[in-house]
Amino acid sequence: MLLQMKGISKHFGGVQALQEVDFDLNANEVHALVGENGAGKSTLMKILSGAQPADQGSISLAGENISLRSVTDAQAHGIIMVFQELTLVPDLSVAENLFLGHLSRVVNYQALYKQAEAILADVGLQLEPSRAVRELSVGEQQLVAIARALAQHGKILILDEPTAALSAAETERLFELIEGLRGRGVGIVYISHRLEEIFRITDRVTVLRDGKLIATNEVASVSTAEVVRQMVGRQLQSYSRSQRRVGATLAKVDIQTSKIAQLNIEVKAGEILGLAGVVGSGRGEVITAMFGYQGHSDWGKHRVHEPRDAIADGIFLVPSDRKTQGLVLELNIRENTALAILPQISRGGIIQPKTERQQVTQWIKRLSIRPPEPEKLVWQLSGGNQQKVVVGKALATQPKILLLDEPTRGVDVGARHELYDMIEQLALQGLGVIVSSSDSEELVSLCDRVLVFRQQKVVTELTTPFSYEEVVAYVTGAR
Amino acid sequence: MSLARVKWTGLLARYGLTLAFLAMVLALAFLSDRFLSVSNLLNVLRQTSINALLAFGMTVVIIGAGIDLSVGSLLAFAGVVAAGLAVAGWPAYLAILAGLLVGVILGSFNGAIVAYFKIAPFIVTLAGLTIFRGMTLVYTGGRPITGLPEAFYVLGNASLLGLPIPVWIMLGFLLLTHFILRFTSLGRAIYAVGGNEEAARLSGIPVARVLFFTYAYAGLASALAALVLDGRLNSAQPTAGTGFELDAIAAVVVGGTSLFGGKGNVFGTFLGALIIGVLNNGMNLLNVSSFYQQIVKGGVILAALLIERLASARNQ
Repeated sequence: MLLQMKGISKHFGGVQALQEVDFDLNANEVHALVGENGAGKSTLMKILSGAQPADQGSISLAGENISLRSVTDAQAHGIIMVFQELTLVPDLSVAENLFLGHLSRVVNYQALYKQAEAILADVGLQLEPSRAVRELSVGEQQLVAIARALAQHGKILILDEPTAALSAAETERLFELIEGLRGRGVGIVYISHRLEEIFRITDRVTVLRDGKLIATNEVASVSTAEVVRQMVGRQLQSYSRSQRRVGATLAKVDIQTSKIAQLNIEVKAGEILGLAGVVGSGRGEVITAMFGYQGHSDWGKHRVHEPRDAIADGIFLVPSDRKTQGLVLELNIRENTALAILPQISRGGIIQPKTERQQVTQWIKRLSIRPPEPEKLVWQLSGGNQQKVVVGKALATQPKILLLDEPTRGVDVGARHELYDMIEQLALQGLGVIVSSSDSEELVSLCDRVLVFRQQKVVTELTTPFSYEEVVAYVTGAR
Repeated sequence: MSLARVKWTGLLARYGLTLAFLAMVLALAFLSDRFLSVSNLLNVLRQTSINALLAFGMTVVIIGAGIDLSVGSLLAFAGVVAAGLAVAGWPAYLAILAGLLVGVILGSFNGAIVAYFKIAPFIVTLAGLTIFRGMTLVYTGGRPITGLPEAFYVLGNASLLGLPIPVWIMLGFLLLTHFILRFTSLGRAIYAVGGNEEAARLSGIPVARVLFFTYAYAGLASALAALVLDGRLNSAQPTAGTGFELDAIAAVVVGGTSLFGGKGNVFGTFLGALIIGVLNNGMNLLNVSSFYQQIVKGGVILAALLIERLASARNQ
């Protein structure tokens, strides 16, 4: 056995992220690691790659106990993580990237290119070593990143969602490379949400849920349905939805993104529509394009190229990343909440402080933003309260259609339920609400209808009643 | 960390600049018997007015996360145009208005390229710095313009209610800038764009228009400074304003405005400009060689920033 992790535990504050998890890996094996968001996959792999220490548990490599104090430590043991976001330097050549961190002080490029060619040929990649990484496709970059791990004498490769950004053809090449590595003593941990892939190229699949090991299955003797059941595991108890009646059609929107030529979605009054899918499925691009952000859309009246256009039509987006897209961190609660209604609270270009304060205190109260101090700088708030400020800013514009992209990412359970209540209330008031989320549980809790995205297409439309299991099955491609 | 310590560093972060300024004034009052005289203090204010005007415009640009290196050259061009037209027989008030208009137009040129072509402001205004200087030299043939009408002299040297006109202009522009930044939706938008352009765009703020405005406003500020300088020298020099952009940026930064944008205010800049002005004046009174003056000035700027950084780091 190449690797054995035993009884690994880890907690963050009061949250138990991992609880006595065992995981092992054989040489020449591809071992899949699956689980819903927050199941503990990435924490386990951060511990294995030396990025975080475990609270408890042991790791042994070829039967010998090791301790991993840093990423460099892990790399010295041949454990290398190939990240979801690529970590190549775009302006350096393929060869320079392959040996980055291991280059001699004065580089002999002829020799470097020769070595690089050998490594590339070894993994079946035909690339000019002198080419800048920037010029390569995302898929080629992914392959170079794996080649680099091998060049650094990687024995254990951790691939984190390697196909998220790849086209079908690029995915095939990646699989060929992985197959090619069998018989060379390398072990691969394969993290993915896509069960089709897992059943094609992996030998075993380990399921984590809520930080616990649920099962390690031989792929040959387990069904996708069984794996989905293991991932889901339980009935939803946490959030009970309210009774709603879906109203008439509010709008039909045509959407165009860089990858989706044409998609039409119907938005109904009082309905919460969910967009489900893994990272890279097209879900995220669709919701931003509806807002004229990184894509175009047409709501029937005119084309929306800019968020301004959408806002004027009564549409507002709560973006997925509140720190980089939702908030101006240097400004306070009041200034952020009023940011999208500056024209409404101004007369002759001058802000009317009374009107502003009324608006802001109203939203602080209705969303129970804590602390309820308008002058508090938003970077001092918790994640959940920051998100409430973004939602307050959106609602202050009195939108007819509210778009929410990953509305509860990094939000604690309490604030999450408050946001769910708010979203339901809005639907009851007759708004059209669209929620895009990688959290299937969230969609099941909230939505009347869910569109499931896979590889830039809507693969199915689910309407209530539908189960958590169903959503996960479609999202992961088990169905 | 004890409560007293927290309070102390908090006070230092908030009032450190004011305290440093007062300490400097106090020290100079002891070191030189002429420093605290009314005529000298008015002189300091008058000398500070030009840098302060440039720095007020610069504050607006920097809060929007930009930078304007062209203000010194822009000042020179607006100055020679106003002077040239006046000497050519235009009525003084028209020549002055034309100078202001030229400032706004050149500032708008910077702003249009930064905002609509999305080119880094450092590069755009660096180009502006040499282009506007070249335009000034072409316009004047490299010679100063002299024989300005009375109105210019009044603008630069006369007094009203005991304060020199340039000081009134500076104070007026200070209040105008503060009003825009603090009380208008445009001002709020400038902070938002400078703090997080993406979030501003997603909130429906017309980002390009806001950025455009900040550079046009800096152009107006430079033109005002140009007119004051014309009046003070009673002539327009084609080399006027060389290097002024650096003093203006120094005043903004010493005044606590972040070069990353989204943070700062114009009163801080005013204080920053006063510190630089008092420092220059004090060193002249104490007969410090102008060679050493440069070193001292740079040192004070660094010290101001270090103190602020240390205080705010402690506070977090």
